[in-house]
Amino acid sequence: MALATAHQEAAHAPAHNHLAINRAGLWLFFFSETILFGLLLSARFYLEGIHREELNQALGLLITVILLLSSVTAYTAETAIEHDNKKVASWYLFFTIVLGLIFAGGVAYEWSIAHFHRNEAFGSIFFTMTGIHATHVITGVFMLILVWAQALRGRYSSKNPWAVSAVVMYWHFVDVVWVFYYPALYLTK
Amino acid sequence: MRKPMQTGLIVAAILAVLTITEYLFATHVEDDLVRFLGITVSALGKAVLIIYYFMHIYRLWRPQEAH
Repeated sequence: MALATAHQEAAHAPAHNHLAINRAGLWLFFFSETILFGLLLSARFYLEGIHREELNQALGLLITVILLLSSVTAYTAETAIEHDNKKVASWYLFFTIVLGLIFAGGVAYEWSIAHFHRNEAFGSIFFTMTGIHATHVITGVFMLILVWAQALRGRYSSKNPWAVSAVVMYWHFVDVVWVFYYPALYLTK
Repeated sequence: MRKPMQTGLIVAAILAVLTITEYLFATHVEDDLVRFLGITVSALGKAVLIIYYFMHIYRLWRPQEAH
């Protein structure tokens, strides 16, 4: 009975409450994802300490800058849609997609030139960490493409920005993960 | 839209500086502890900036505000 009443109340909740619930749910998802990425990060140091194999430093720095830049373009898209600037939002969603694809391409290239094997300790953790992260990047690009296609049709506005905000927040989360993965994989000695 | 964009550009500039700082700590500092602390503080700084300014975590405890 109480559950049914609560459900009815939720169904008739004002729009801003729905937004708050959506936002809280997304953050809970981020916290659960943090456990996955955090465990992989701790496994990396458990297996290898601060030792690492030689990696292409220029490529690591380049893809890091590209991913950080994509966060700026994603932020611009979100800000634009919150100010009803739909054309700018569509363009910056597109730029974010392109930068995301370049990042994924950079990771694929790093895999192709890596001189260590997946059977070695560093190799196994490197391919697992970058692989799971790249999977999230590809998922983010896929969601960005879906939102971009809808944005081109003018579906989002300052009154209905949630889909854009959510996918952009997801994108920033993927960026935050790389902020820790990049030094753990490329910068330790 | 101008003010949030200014904020975004300032945050982007700080992120760039922290990334370069992190790289310089890794390539130029020999002391293990100093290098580790430099890299960790830079990474934490970047994460905090992204989570606060780009992911708007403060909106979690401002439920009445749409954006």
